[in-house]
Amino acid sequence: MNLPFAASFRALARPGAAFGAPPPGLGRAVREMVLVWVPLALVNAAWTTWRGIQAYDALRRGAVPPWLLGWLGTDPADIHELLSALPAPPAFGQVWPWLLLAVPFGVLGTWLHHAVWDHMGLWLLGGLKEQRGFRTSLVAEAEALRIAAVGTLLGLLGFVPVLGVVVALPLMLLDAYLWLFRGFALAARHGCEPWRGLAATVVHAVALGCCAMGLLAFMLFMVGWTG
Amino acid sequence: MRRIPWVALATLLALLGLRVAALLEPVSGLLPGCAFKRLTGFACATCGLTRCVMALGRGDWREAFHWHPVAAVALALLPLAAVWDVRRAWRADPYPGLPASRAARLSVWAILVAAWALQVARGI
Repeated sequence: MNLPFAASFRALARPGAAFGAPPPGLGRAVREMVLVWVPLALVNAAWTTWRGIQAYDALRRGAVPPWLLGWLGTDPADIHELLSALPAPPAFGQVWPWLLLAVPFGVLGTWLHHAVWDHMGLWLLGGLKEQRGFRTSLVAEAEALRIAAVGTLLGLLGFVPVLGVVVALPLMLLDAYLWLFRGFALAARHGCEPWRGLAATVVHAVALGCCAMGLLAFMLFMVGWTG
Repeated sequence: MRRIPWVALATLLALLGLRVAALLEPVSGLLPGCAFKRLTGFACATCGLTRCVMALGRGDWREAFHWHPVAAVALALLPLAAVWDVRRAWRADPYPGLPASRAARLSVWAILVAAWALQVARGI
Protein backbone atom coordinates (compact mmCIF):
# COMPACT_ATOMS: atom_id res chain seq x y z
CA MET A 1 0.00 0.00 0.00
CA ASN A 2 1.35 3.39 -0.97
CA LEU A 3 0.91 6.10 1.63
CA PRO A 4 0.04 9.61 0.42
CA PHE A 5 3.21 11.61 -0.19
CA ALA A 6 5.34 8.46 0.25
CA ALA A 7 7.48 9.46 -2.75
CA SER A 8 8.00 12.92 -1.25
CA PHE A 9 9.10 11.46 2.08
CA ARG A 10 11.49 9.08 0.27
CA ALA A 11 12.98 11.99 -1.68
CA LEU A 12 13.41 14.02 1.49
CA ALA A 13 15.11 11.08 3.20
CA ARG A 14 17.53 10.55 0.30
CA PRO A 15 17.94 13.97 -1.32
CA GLY A 16 21.09 12.99 -3.18
CA ALA A 17 19.19 10.41 -5.22
CA ALA A 18 15.90 12.33 -5.49
CA PHE A 19 16.66 14.02 -8.79
CA GLY A 20 18.37 11.24 -10.70
CA ALA A 21 15.60 10.80 -13.29
CA PRO A 22 15.59 12.99 -16.42
CA PRO A 23 13.98 16.37 -15.68
CA PRO A 24 10.35 16.93 -16.71
CA GLY A 25 9.36 19.79 -19.00
CA LEU A 26 8.70 23.17 -17.40
CA GLY A 27 4.93 22.98 -17.93
CA ARG A 28 4.63 19.55 -16.36
CA ALA A 29 6.89 20.47 -13.42
CA VAL A 30 4.84 23.60 -12.64
CA ARG A 31 1.51 21.78 -13.08
CA GLU A 32 2.55 19.03 -10.66
CA MET A 33 3.86 21.57 -8.14
CA VAL A 34 0.62 23.57 -8.26
CA LEU A 35 -1.58 20.45 -7.98
CA VAL A 36 0.25 19.27 -4.85
CA TRP A 37 1.11 22.56 -3.14
CA VAL A 38 -1.93 24.79 -3.74
CA PRO A 39 -4.49 22.56 -1.93
CA LEU A 40 -2.14 22.17 1.05
CA ALA A 41 -1.36 25.89 1.09
CA LEU A 42 -5.09 26.68 0.92
CA VAL A 43 -5.81 24.49 3.96
CA ASN A 44 -2.89 26.08 5.82
CA ALA A 45 -3.93 29.64 4.87
CA ALA A 46 -7.60 29.00 5.76
CA TRP A 47 -6.68 27.54 9.14
CA THR A 48 -4.18 30.35 9.87
CA THR A 49 -6.73 33.00 8.92
CA TRP A 50 -9.51 31.40 10.97
CA ARG A 51 -7.27 31.14 14.06
CA GLY A 52 -5.96 34.66 13.45
CA ILE A 53 -9.48 36.10 13.36
CA GLN A 54 -10.35 34.22 16.56
CA ALA A 55 -7.20 35.47 18.33
CA TYR A 56 -7.79 39.05 17.20
CA ASP A 57 -11.43 38.95 18.35
CA ALA A 58 -10.39 37.53 21.73
CA LEU A 59 -7.83 40.33 22.05
CA ARG A 60 -10.52 42.94 21.27
CA ARG A 61 -12.68 41.47 24.02
CA GLY A 62 -9.86 42.02 26.48
CA ALA A 63 -8.43 38.49 26.70
CA VAL A 64 -4.94 39.69 27.53
CA PRO A 65 -2.79 37.39 29.71
CA PRO A 66 -2.16 38.96 33.14
CA TRP A 67 1.60 38.42 32.79
CA LEU A 68 1.57 40.51 29.62
CA LEU A 69 -0.28 43.33 31.36
CA GLY A 70 2.29 43.18 34.15
CA TRP A 71 5.15 43.16 31.66
CA LEU A 72 3.79 46.19 29.82
CA GLY A 73 3.57 48.05 33.14
CA THR A 74 0.55 50.03 31.93
CA ASP A 75 -2.79 50.50 33.62
CA PRO A 76 -4.91 47.44 32.57
CA ALA A 77 -7.98 49.68 32.17
CA ASP A 78 -6.13 51.76 29.56
CA ILE A 79 -5.09 48.61 27.67
CA HIS A 80 -8.65 47.24 27.67
CA GLU A 81 -10.02 50.58 26.48
CA LEU A 82 -7.45 50.69 23.68
CA LEU A 83 -8.22 47.10 22.62
CA SER A 84 -12.00 47.54 22.70
CA ALA A 85 -11.63 50.50 20.32
CA LEU A 86 -10.05 48.26 17.66
CA PRO A 87 -12.27 47.59 14.62
CA ALA A 88 -14.18 44.30 14.51
CA PRO A 89 -12.52 41.52 12.47
CA PRO A 90 -14.15 40.42 9.21
CA ALA A 91 -16.12 37.17 9.26
CA PHE A 92 -14.25 34.16 7.88
CA GLY A 93 -16.96 33.85 5.23
CA GLN A 94 -15.92 37.22 3.85
CA VAL A 95 -12.24 36.35 3.76
CA TRP A 96 -12.06 32.85 2.30
CA PRO A 97 -12.95 33.79 -1.32
CA TRP A 98 -9.90 36.07 -1.30
CA LEU A 99 -7.75 33.15 -0.16
CA LEU A 100 -8.81 31.22 -3.26
CA LEU A 101 -7.33 34.05 -5.30
CA ALA A 102 -4.32 34.93 -3.15
CA VAL A 103 -2.95 31.45 -2.40
CA PRO A 104 -2.35 30.30 -6.02
CA PHE A 105 -0.70 33.66 -6.75
CA GLY A 106 1.35 33.28 -3.58
CA VAL A 107 2.49 29.79 -4.60
CA LEU A 108 3.54 30.91 -8.08
CA GLY A 109 5.15 34.06 -6.68
CA THR A 110 7.15 32.03 -4.14
CA TRP A 111 8.31 29.66 -6.87
CA LEU A 112 9.48 32.54 -9.09
CA HIS A 113 11.11 34.33 -6.15
CA HIS A 114 13.06 31.23 -5.11
CA ALA A 115 14.09 30.55 -8.71
CA VAL A 116 15.44 34.08 -9.26
CA TRP A 117 17.40 34.30 -6.01
CA ASP A 118 18.68 30.72 -6.01
CA HIS A 119 19.76 31.06 -9.65
CA MET A 120 21.64 34.24 -8.77
CA GLY A 121 23.19 32.54 -5.72
CA LEU A 122 24.24 29.58 -7.84
CA TRP A 123 25.84 31.89 -10.39
CA LEU A 124 27.71 33.80 -7.66
CA LEU A 125 29.11 30.48 -6.43
CA GLY A 126 30.14 29.30 -9.89
CA GLY A 127 27.47 26.58 -10.08
CA LEU A 128 26.21 27.40 -13.58
CA LYS A 129 29.09 25.57 -15.16
CA GLU A 130 27.13 23.94 -17.94
CA GLN A 131 25.24 27.13 -18.78
CA ARG A 132 21.84 25.42 -18.66
CA GLY A 133 20.10 28.72 -18.01
CA PHE A 134 17.29 30.06 -15.85
CA ARG A 135 14.72 27.64 -17.29
CA THR A 136 16.63 24.78 -15.64
CA SER A 137 16.41 26.58 -12.30
CA LEU A 138 12.66 27.08 -12.79
CA VAL A 139 12.21 23.33 -13.37
CA ALA A 140 14.47 22.40 -10.43
CA GLU A 141 12.63 24.73 -8.08
CA ALA A 142 9.22 23.42 -9.19
CA GLU A 143 10.37 19.83 -8.61
CA ALA A 144 11.85 20.63 -5.19
CA LEU A 145 8.89 22.71 -4.04
CA ARG A 146 6.44 19.96 -5.05
CA ILE A 147 8.32 17.59 -2.73
CA ALA A 148 8.84 20.22 -0.01
CA ALA A 149 5.08 20.97 0.00
CA VAL A 150 4.82 18.05 2.40
CA GLY A 151 6.23 20.50 4.95
CA THR A 152 3.03 22.54 4.61
CA LEU A 153 1.10 19.39 5.49
CA LEU A 154 3.27 18.68 8.54
CA GLY A 155 3.11 22.37 9.46
CA LEU A 156 -0.61 21.88 10.16
CA LEU A 157 0.44 19.92 13.26
CA GLY A 158 1.52 23.25 14.71
CA PHE A 159 -2.17 24.18 15.05
CA VAL A 160 -3.03 21.19 17.25
CA PRO A 161 -3.43 22.29 20.89
CA VAL A 162 -0.53 21.19 23.15
CA LEU A 163 1.06 19.15 20.32
CA GLY A 164 1.67 22.41 18.47
CA VAL A 165 3.96 23.64 21.24
CA VAL A 166 5.81 20.31 21.41
CA VAL A 167 6.50 20.17 17.67
CA ALA A 168 7.33 23.88 17.26
CA LEU A 169 11.11 23.38 17.35
CA PRO A 170 11.15 20.23 15.13
CA LEU A 171 8.97 22.09 12.62
CA MET A 172 11.45 24.97 12.56
CA LEU A 173 14.29 22.51 11.89
CA LEU A 174 12.20 20.90 9.16
CA ASP A 175 11.63 24.33 7.60
CA ALA A 176 15.40 24.89 7.57
CA TYR A 177 15.97 21.49 5.92
CA LEU A 178 13.26 22.11 3.32
CA TRP A 179 14.91 25.44 2.48
CA LEU A 180 18.24 23.70 1.88
CA PHE A 181 16.54 20.82 0.04
CA ARG A 182 16.06 23.04 -3.03
CA GLY A 183 19.84 23.10 -3.31
CA PHE A 184 19.92 19.36 -4.13
CA ALA A 185 17.50 19.90 -7.03
CA LEU A 186 19.50 22.88 -8.31
CA ALA A 187 22.78 20.98 -8.12
CA ALA A 188 21.36 17.89 -9.86
CA ARG A 189 19.71 19.82 -12.70
CA HIS A 190 22.63 22.21 -13.26
CA GLY A 191 25.21 19.43 -13.02
CA CYS A 192 27.28 21.00 -10.25
CA GLU A 193 28.44 19.76 -6.86
CA PRO A 194 25.67 19.54 -4.20
CA TRP A 195 27.49 21.97 -1.88
CA ARG A 196 27.14 24.73 -4.46
CA GLY A 197 23.38 24.17 -4.69
CA LEU A 198 23.04 24.14 -0.91
CA ALA A 199 25.25 27.22 -0.55
CA ALA A 200 23.14 29.03 -3.19
CA THR A 201 20.08 28.64 -0.98
CA VAL A 202 22.15 29.91 1.97
CA VAL A 203 23.25 33.00 -0.02
CA HIS A 204 19.57 33.53 -0.81
CA ALA A 205 18.66 33.18 2.89
CA VAL A 206 21.37 35.64 3.98
CA ALA A 207 20.27 38.22 1.38
CA LEU A 208 16.66 37.75 2.42
CA GLY A 209 17.60 37.80 6.10
CA CYS A 210 19.30 41.19 5.75
CA CYS A 211 16.08 42.66 4.35
CA ALA A 212 13.71 40.70 6.56
CA MET A 213 15.52 41.39 9.83
CA GLY A 214 14.30 44.97 9.90
CA LEU A 215 10.77 43.85 9.02
CA LEU A 216 10.82 41.18 11.73
CA ALA A 217 12.03 43.68 14.32
CA PHE A 218 9.27 46.06 13.18
CA MET A 219 6.63 43.35 13.57
CA LEU A 220 7.90 42.41 17.04
CA PHE A 221 7.86 46.06 17.97
CA MET A 222 4.26 46.43 16.73
CA VAL A 223 3.17 43.28 18.59
CA GLY A 224 4.75 44.63 21.76
CA TRP A 225 3.21 48.05 21.18
CA THR A 226 -0.34 46.83 20.51
CA GLY A 227 -0.23 43.82 22.83
CA MET B 1 7.34 33.16 -22.51
CA ARG B 2 9.94 35.07 -24.57
CA ARG B 3 7.28 37.65 -25.44
CA ILE B 4 6.80 38.56 -21.77
CA PRO B 5 9.04 41.45 -20.63
CA TRP B 6 9.64 40.23 -17.08
CA VAL B 7 12.22 42.90 -16.23
CA ALA B 8 9.92 45.67 -17.47
CA LEU B 9 7.07 44.24 -15.38
CA ALA B 10 9.36 44.10 -12.34
CA THR B 11 10.29 47.76 -12.99
CA LEU B 12 6.61 48.71 -12.98
CA LEU B 13 6.19 46.81 -9.72
CA ALA B 14 9.20 48.66 -8.24
CA LEU B 15 7.69 52.02 -9.26
CA LEU B 16 4.42 51.00 -7.63
CA GLY B 17 6.40 50.03 -4.51
CA LEU B 18 7.99 53.48 -4.41
CA ARG B 19 4.53 55.09 -4.54
CA VAL B 20 3.39 52.87 -1.66
CA ALA B 21 6.57 53.75 0.26
CA ALA B 22 5.70 57.44 -0.10
CA LEU B 23 2.26 56.74 1.39
CA LEU B 24 3.88 54.96 4.36
CA GLU B 25 6.16 57.90 5.16
CA PRO B 26 4.01 59.11 8.12
CA VAL B 27 4.50 55.81 9.99
CA SER B 28 8.18 55.39 9.10
CA GLY B 29 9.13 56.90 12.45
CA LEU B 30 7.78 53.78 14.15
CA LEU B 31 10.50 51.63 12.53
CA PRO B 32 12.92 50.47 15.22
CA GLY B 33 15.97 50.35 12.93
CA CYS B 34 18.21 47.49 11.90
CA ALA B 35 18.31 44.57 14.35
CA PHE B 36 21.77 43.53 13.04
CA LYS B 37 23.16 46.98 13.82
CA ARG B 38 21.51 46.97 17.22
CA LEU B 39 23.12 43.60 18.02
CA THR B 40 26.59 44.17 16.58
CA GLY B 41 26.99 47.93 16.41
CA PHE B 42 27.81 47.66 12.69
CA ALA B 43 25.57 48.47 9.73
CA CYS B 44 24.37 45.55 7.62
CA ALA B 45 24.65 45.56 3.82
CA THR B 46 21.09 46.82 3.46
CA CYS B 47 21.23 49.47 6.20
CA GLY B 48 19.90 52.72 4.75
CA LEU B 49 17.74 50.92 2.19
CA THR B 50 14.44 51.87 3.84
CA ARG B 51 15.47 55.52 4.08
CA CYS B 52 16.69 55.34 0.47
CA VAL B 53 13.31 54.01 -0.68
CA MET B 54 11.44 56.61 1.38
CA ALA B 55 13.54 59.38 -0.21
CA LEU B 56 12.84 57.99 -3.67
CA GLY B 57 9.13 57.95 -2.83
CA ARG B 58 9.46 61.72 -2.36
CA GLY B 59 11.50 61.96 -5.56
CA ASP B 60 14.62 63.09 -3.65
CA TRP B 61 17.40 61.30 -5.55
CA ARG B 62 20.22 63.15 -3.79
CA GLU B 63 19.09 61.93 -0.37
CA ALA B 64 18.38 58.44 -1.75
CA PHE B 65 21.97 58.27 -3.04
CA HIS B 66 23.25 59.37 0.35
CA TRP B 67 21.40 56.59 2.21
CA HIS B 68 22.24 53.70 -0.16
CA PRO B 69 24.34 54.55 -3.25
CA VAL B 70 24.23 51.05 -4.75
CA ALA B 71 20.45 50.71 -4.46
CA ALA B 72 19.90 54.24 -5.82
CA VAL B 73 22.11 53.58 -8.84
CA ALA B 74 20.47 50.20 -9.43
CA LEU B 75 17.01 51.77 -9.31
CA ALA B 76 18.13 54.56 -11.64
CA LEU B 77 19.26 51.94 -14.16
CA LEU B 78 15.97 50.00 -13.99
CA PRO B 79 14.18 52.10 -16.68
CA LEU B 80 17.07 51.42 -19.09
CA ALA B 81 16.81 47.72 -18.35
CA ALA B 82 13.04 47.91 -18.88
CA VAL B 83 13.46 49.52 -22.31
CA TRP B 84 16.02 46.86 -23.27
CA ASP B 85 13.65 44.14 -22.06
CA VAL B 86 10.65 45.48 -24.01
CA ARG B 87 12.81 45.52 -27.15
CA ARG B 88 13.98 41.95 -26.41
CA ALA B 89 10.40 40.76 -25.88
CA TRP B 90 9.24 42.51 -29.06
CA ARG B 91 11.87 40.59 -31.03
CA ALA B 92 11.14 37.38 -29.07
CA ASP B 93 14.82 37.00 -28.26
CA PRO B 94 15.75 34.74 -25.33
CA TYR B 95 17.26 36.27 -22.21
CA PRO B 96 21.06 36.10 -22.37
CA GLY B 97 22.71 33.77 -19.87
CA LEU B 98 24.68 35.16 -16.95
CA PRO B 99 28.37 35.63 -17.86
CA ALA B 100 30.44 32.53 -17.21
CA SER B 101 33.62 34.40 -16.32
CA ARG B 102 34.98 34.26 -12.81
CA ALA B 103 35.86 37.97 -13.07
CA ALA B 104 32.18 38.88 -13.50
CA ARG B 105 31.17 36.83 -10.46
CA LEU B 106 33.98 38.25 -8.34
CA SER B 107 32.99 41.75 -9.45
CA VAL B 108 29.46 41.26 -8.13
CA TRP B 109 30.81 39.86 -4.84
CA ALA B 110 33.16 42.87 -4.66
CA ILE B 111 30.27 45.29 -5.23
CA LEU B 112 28.21 43.60 -2.50
CA VAL B 113 31.11 43.65 -0.01
CA ALA B 114 32.06 47.22 -0.98
CA ALA B 115 28.46 48.38 -0.47
CA TRP B 116 28.49 46.83 2.97
CA ALA B 117 31.91 48.30 3.84
CA LEU B 118 30.75 51.72 2.66
CA GLN B 119 27.69 51.64 4.89
CA VAL B 120 29.76 50.48 7.87
CA ALA B 121 32.47 53.11 7.27
CA ARG B 122 29.92 55.91 7.03
CA GLY B 123 28.03 54.69 10.10
CA ILE B 124 24.72 54.59 8.23
